[in-house]
Formats: sequence, structure tokens, C-alpha cells
Amino acid sequence: MSRKATIWLWRAASFAVAASFIALWQLIANLKLVSPVFLPGPDRAWASLMRGFSNGDLWSKLAGTLEHMVYGWLVASIAGIAIGAIIGSSKLMRTYVAPSLEFLRPLPVSAIIPVAIAMLGLTQAMALFVIAFGAIWPIMLATIHGFAAVEPRLYEVARSLQMSRLAVIFKIALPSASPDILAGMRLSVTVALILSVVCEILAGLDGLGHWVLLSARAFRSADLFAGVILLGITGYVTSVAMSMAEHRLLAWQAAQR
Amino acid sequence: MAITAKRREADASGHSDPQIAFAGVTLELGGKTIIENLSLGVQPGEFLCIVGASGCGKTTALRLAAGLYQPTSGRVNFDGQPMLQPRREIAIVFQDYGKALLPWRTAAGNVSLALEAGGMPAADRPARIEELLRTVGLPGHAGKYPAEMSGGMQQRLQIARCLAQEPKTLLMDEPFGALDAMTRQGLQDEVLALVAASGATVIFVTHDLDEAIYLGDRVIGLLPHPGRIGIELQVNLPRPRDQLSTREQPEFLRLRRQLFDFIKATEQ
Ligand SMILES: Nc1ncnc2c1ncn2[C@@H]1O[C@H](COP(=O)(O)OP(=O)(O)OP(=O)(O)O)[C@@H](O)[C@H]1O
Ligand SMILES: [Mg+2]
Repeated sequence: MSRKATIWLWRAASFAVAASFIALWQLIANLKLVSPVFLPGPDRAWASLMRGFSNGDLWSKLAGTLEHMVYGWLVASIAGIAIGAIIGSSKLMRTYVAPSLEFLRPLPVSAIIPVAIAMLGLTQAMALFVIAFGAIWPIMLATIHGFAAVEPRLYEVARSLQMSRLAVIFKIALPSASPDILAGMRLSVTVALILSVVCEILAGLDGLGHWVLLSARAFRSADLFAGVILLGITGYVTSVAMSMAEHRLLAWQAAQR
Repeated sequence: MAITAKRREADASGHSDPQIAFAGVTLELGGKTIIENLSLGVQPGEFLCIVGASGCGKTTALRLAAGLYQPTSGRVNFDGQPMLQPRREIAIVFQDYGKALLPWRTAAGNVSLALEAGGMPAADRPARIEELLRTVGLPGHAGKYPAEMSGGMQQRLQIARCLAQEPKTLLMDEPFGALDAMTRQGLQDEVLALVAASGATVIFVTHDLDEAIYLGDRVIGLLPHPGRIGIELQVNLPRPRDQLSTREQPEFLRLRRQLFDFIKATEQ
């Protein structure tokens, strides 16, 4: 079978699975196996989603969540790449600093949320700090690894060309580490989304997390599910977008296989 | 030929200063003496070949000439100046071309790296890149990534990047070691032609004795542990050289025999 036909078959199959999942959901809701107070059918969730979009409520919540996610992720990316580059390009730093990072990394981000709230209050700044702190790890560790793995021969090429330090970083080290860095950024965009929701719930900041919380408290299950569906879509779209960006930026890697 | 003429002229005037001069160079790495008391002058435009058993210090000597290593004692001079760091006038062609090229840049991009380092304005680069790729026999491959090229093409590309440095000295470390015999002979002739055209000085490391004699004006054989000069042969074969007739000349066979006996003796 041709490659293309295989891909289409897989797509059709996964579509069928999703469709039957939704059908099952509808069936359970129609038969009232779970109380409608807790579980709306897909029809009601969809209607709520449409209503939320047409009156603008959901748009503004979505915008709030995207804002938290993107800002936190950008701060994490810039800081993570910068710190990772410094640590990764020095053997001394790798030897002495990397072990402490390994100790800090498994620390659940939820553990620093109380600390952040105590220091910054229930503010946007707190959210930014928590999101960035959580999202920085995959990027920073990937950058350290990428910088440490630059082919030493290339540094010798740079030396014999008498390239400046800056040129070496931007023309040799960063591009060489870019596959690692982009993979880290793809992982951390998901972390940023999760933490955005957590912060919105905890600090009552405007966004889908807050919307979901309020809907749950008011027993508006259709609205609650609309929010959850929208979060799922957001996560899916951002990760697909990251994969596409990776694919484009790393076209040269395709040639290596 | 331009180079031989240039050197003869220098000889006649009697005071040609070496372009690269090793003066009593000793290098220790990790507490081990790798090169001991090496003294050697390479004349401008000369094609010097270095041979020797594996591990005798050929690559190390070349890295000293490139400024990638600093001697523990003694000194390496370039044009009469002590060499404290690598410089753009000295280009080095590494044996492992796969590692020395930027995989994320196309052929054109890899050549461009050297032009960028040399400060050439962006507008002037494309024409020069095309010219250089044509010179090394890669016209029409500008848009290819190194991974899309054969070993011979990648090594040509590395040579193009080195030529883009407009080097006075070209250092080559077993550049054709990993290539098949046909590609190898073709590249040998191309390198001779390129060097003749540019007038660059060359230090060429190889473990192939025939290649050393075929290419060189002079061949040096190193003794191992620690590395030092064991034999020095002047190659008085006419240029331009020819893959068939040069290799059949009695002088070629005599030098080959002499070098062969030397290497055999060092391996015992
Ligand atoms: N960085 C280093 N530290 C310690 N020893 C080294 C280092 N680099 C090379 N050596 C040693 O120096 C000796 C000469 O190495 P070199 O690479 O110059 O040999 P070579 O003549 O180029 O060998 P080959 O033909 O295998 O390429 C070897 O014994 C090697 O183990
Ligand atoms: Mg070697």
C-alpha cells in the first residue's frame, strides 16, 4: 500500500474513533446514566460553546488564557535559552550547576505556588512567575543539552575563521542546538497552558480556568464542558502549530535521514 | 609552473623566508610528549607532504601549524610573526568533512560562512559563492544540504569554504582518506590545479605514500613516540604531474621505495 493511502487510512480511523466517542457520550447523556446536572450531552455543550462565542464571553476568556500562556511561555523561552546557553557552553558550569538543576527540576511547580502567592499576591505577576517557572525547565534542560552537544570540530572551524563570540553563538551553537531547543519549547507550551488554568483558578484571574471554576460552582455543566472543550482545542492547536513550526525550521534535518 | 618558478626565483635570490617555521617545537598533552623538538621551514608556495605511522603526531603537527595548539616550548612562526591563535590566512581542511560542515546550511551557506567571517558585504557573496562552487566542481549544487551530498562532494565543499578564506596556507589532514580510489585521484589533480592557480602554500598530511610523492615538492616522514622528523625527501618530479606517467617514472619509484623502507622500519 502506498504511504499516502496508509496515512489517509489512519486519519479516517482516528476520525471514526473520535466520532464514536462523541456518539457514546451522547448516548450516555440521553439515557441519563449520569445526572444531566453533572454531564451534559455533546449537543448541549456545543450549544453552550456557540452561545459563548456569539455573545463574546468565551472569546474574552480564551484571550485571557492565551495571554497568560503566551507571556509565560515567552518569558520561559527567553530565560531558558539564555541560561541554558550559558550553562551548556561551559564545561565548568555543566559540572557544578547541572546537578543542582536536576535536584530542582522534579520539584512540583504546585509547591512554589504558595510561595509565589505569599510574595506577589493573587496578581498577574504571580501568574506570570508561576507559569514561566514551570515552563522554563524543559527549555532550559534541552538548551543545556543542545549546547553541550555541539560538534567540537565546528568550534575549530569558527576559530580558524576568527569568528566573533557573538557570531559563534548565533551561527554555530544556536542552530546546532535548535532541534533540542524547539523540542523543549514544544513540551513547555503544554506546561504553560496547564499552569495558566491553575493560576486562573487559584487567583481568580480572567480566563478559561476561572470560567470553568465558576460554571462548576453554579452547576452550569454545559458551560463547564464548553470551557473544557475549548481548552482541549487550544492545547491541540498550539501543539500542532509548534510541530509545524519545528518541521519548517528544521527542514535541513530531513536531509540527514 | 607559477609556483615552481616563484620558488626558484626565491632560491636564486637566496633569502626566501619560510612562511611557516617550526623552531624547536615540543608539545606535551596530558603529560605525554607528543611532538619533540621539531624544526621545520615551509617556503611560500611549497607543497609539503607529511607521512608517518598512525599515531606518530601528523595531525598534532598540523594543528600546531594551524594555531589550534600552542607549543609547550619552542615556537611556530607565520610570516615571521609568532602564531598565538588561528588566523584566517591559514585554512584547514579536516579529514572528517562530515563533522566540519554545518548540516543546517546548504552548500552555498557553508561557503558563505567563510565570506561572512571575512566581512564580505552580503550583496557580493552570491557571485563569489557560485564562482567557488564552480572551482571545486560543484556547480548547480548550491541549494543542497551536506547530508544530500556524497563524501567526495562534501570534501569538495569543505575545500571551497577553505578557498573562500583566500588562504596563504592550506593545511590538509588526510583529506581524501575516506574516499574511493577514483574520487581520490580526481581530487588530487584538482587540488594540484587549485593550488597552482592560487599559489598557496600547502601542508598535506596523508598515510598514502604514493599520494605524498605524487603531490609534494617535499615529503617528510615522522617517527613516533615522540613525533620527530625521521626522513626528508626532495621530490624532483616535473609538474604538471600526471596520474599515469608521473607514477611510472624511475624517480617516483625510487622515492616510493625509500619512503616505504622508512615506514616499515618505524613500524618494527
Ligand atoms: N588531546 C590529546 N591528549 C593526549 N594525547 C593526545 C591528544 N591528541 C593526540 N594525542 C596522542 O598523540 C599522538 C599523536 O596523535 P595524532 O592524532 O597527531 O596522530 P596522527 O599521526 O595524526 O595519527 P593518525 O594517522 O591515526 O591520524 C597519539 O599517540 C595520540 O594518542
Ligand atoms: Mg591524524
